[in-house]
Amino acid sequence: MISTTSTYRQDILSSTGHFGPYGGTYVPEVLLPGLQDIAAAYDHLKTDPDFLDEFHTALREFDGRPTPLTPLPRLSAEIGGAQIFLKNEGLNHTGAHKINHCIGQAILAKRLGKTRIIAETGAGQHGYATAAVCARFGLDCTVYMGRIDYERQRPNVYWMELLGAKVVPVEDGSQTLNDAVIAAFKDWVEHPESYYLLGSAVGPHPYPAMNTFFQKIVGEETRQQCLDQIGRTPDYVMACVGGGSNAMGMFFEFLDDEQVQLIGVEAGGRGTQPGEHAAKVRQGVKGIFEGYHSYFLQDGDGNIASTHSVSAGLDYCGISPILAHLADEGRVQFATASDETALAAVQRLALAEGIIPALESAHAFAHAFELAANLTPDQVIVVNASGRGEKDLFITMRHFQPESLRKVGELLLKG
Amino acid sequence: MQIPIMAHLVLGYPTLPESIRTAELYIAAGCAILELQIPFSHPTADGPVITRACQVAVEEQGITVANCLEAIAGLTSRFPQQEIIVMSYLNRIYTYGADRFREKMERMGIRHLIVPDLPVDSPVAKALHQPGQLQLLPVLAANVSDARLQQLLAAGHDFFYLMSDFKITGSTFSLNPRLKHIAQTIKATQANARVGIGFGISTAEQIHQVLEVADCAIIGSALIRAQEENRLNRYFNELLLETTKST
Ligand SMILES: Cc1ncc(COP(=O)(O)O)c(C=O)c1O
Repeated sequence: MISTTSTYRQDILSSTGHFGPYGGTYVPEVLLPGLQDIAAAYDHLKTDPDFLDEFHTALREFDGRPTPLTPLPRLSAEIGGAQIFLKNEGLNHTGAHKINHCIGQAILAKRLGKTRIIAETGAGQHGYATAAVCARFGLDCTVYMGRIDYERQRPNVYWMELLGAKVVPVEDGSQTLNDAVIAAFKDWVEHPESYYLLGSAVGPHPYPAMNTFFQKIVGEETRQQCLDQIGRTPDYVMACVGGGSNAMGMFFEFLDDEQVQLIGVEAGGRGTQPGEHAAKVRQGVKGIFEGYHSYFLQDGDGNIASTHSVSAGLDYCGISPILAHLADEGRVQFATASDETALAAVQRLALAEGIIPALESAHAFAHAFELAANLTPDQVIVVNASGRGEKDLFITMRHFQPESLRKVGELLLKG
Repeated sequence: MQIPIMAHLVLGYPTLPESIRTAELYIAAGCAILELQIPFSHPTADGPVITRACQVAVEEQGITVANCLEAIAGLTSRFPQQEIIVMSYLNRIYTYGADRFREKMERMGIRHLIVPDLPVDSPVAKALHQPGQLQLLPVLAANVSDARLQQLLAAGHDFFYLMSDFKITGSTFSLNPRLKHIAQTIKATQANARVGIGFGISTAEQIHQVLEVADCAIIGSALIRAQEENRLNRYFNELLLETTKST
């Protein structure tokens, strides 16, 4: 997709789903008509003033945008290196960036005359945002969630159900995000008239480009806020990477600013052996799965490997085809952060700055803290805080206060 | 005598030797076509029965693509008259190398390949579809448009797999009324083209219903279920008997 006269941004906006060798539409034929309808609608709506007005109005009135760019002076001083700023996507309604693409896709689905929405979720943030948007727009909502995620992100299951969504735990495979994606696709095969509201910059065309389009508001605001607050673009911009929606949302506006270094942080989990992490760029190989061509964690003979991360949202085998291409091009660098360092980053940000990030986002912070120490105070790092940490109640409590968790459990059981 | 059934099995389930013996059983019984599925860790378009079979083959049996190719080669050399179709999800073929895979297929005399997650006209498909030699079977559902059907017919496909309805494999059977029109359109455009219908078929009555529209009935999950319940021989022979009775 790269030609000498065009830019990364133009190429992504005008793409037909191919990013270098990656992307594409590798799905059963039964899903092609539905995908073609969505692609055609997206192609039309991305320049339709009425649609864009409705989208931005909902982002303002329902979601609460813009979100602030927050300096972290105490933490930056404590580390003694670069100045760190945080883009607080945790202040979005429902607690994460996910609602940006949910609002965009729900309006698109309405315009296509759809009445039933299918979604997958890992951490539950995409499902929670989908459920909220469906309630708001009067759409029927079914969310698939791997059994393990269903248990470990229980607060979000409850919120989804309170919002009227049907949450289906998926018992197949490793019972995490990957299995939820497959279950959602199967539902779509059985109900091709439904709308599949996919929750990251992955999957067949047009989802990677479309979710990037709906998420790019994050980077647009951030870039302007940097100009307003510090008078220049930052030196480093970082985001955690599960499938890549918050990273693409954050990076997009900076792609053609050559001086800005972009770093995606993947889940290093608890080790480098297969099944212990979710580092696709670092340890994945090229493959074609779940509708798209990209890097996947695999066994070497074409089977998809299991993954692990303390954060359900990063616990996924594939990565956005757009990020795979940007990684090959060297435009986006990749790093990993382990379960332990992510948990430590939650604690550190909470104590020093009064902000509790989602475990997913904490991976980006863990790497930012490491990098900042090697930089100088005239340098600026912006980290995307893709979500807030309340949803991780039971995971972080088990780690930081196991005794309290046990007591809460006992109390609740007594009634 | 050839019975118009395409019998499906997962290579390596419950073990590789047992799956080969099952293939031999289907061949001996006279079923027209054998469909051999290369197991994949995440069969995205299959129901619970085939998904579980794939998982056993991959995780417990550790079946590789090379193991499967060897097993297929054994069957094709021992039963050169038997029509065999190979089924695999795309990532296994892509990882093995699409060109290399095609060469293997052609050398074994395999003429048709089913790749459920590969639209037959996408870039990767070109390496796997060479009319006159190896051909991809389009797997279509009732929502395929007439224009799309003509496009596929023009690309030289001579065998079409129709999903009985908007289902995944192993679901309760129903026959979408539009399939009749689709099958007729295929036949009207290309008299030699064959049509198979599958997904959810488990009884002779359903087979008869399908054969009114198609050239063959494709049976998968029901056979695996029978095998798991130790009644495969009896079930399969009864099915064939009742199918041949009135055709
Ligand atoms: C807060 C948060 N951040 C990040 C992610 C990872 O997804 P993505 O890489 O698409 O941003 C999730 C996914 O659930 C999430 O909830």
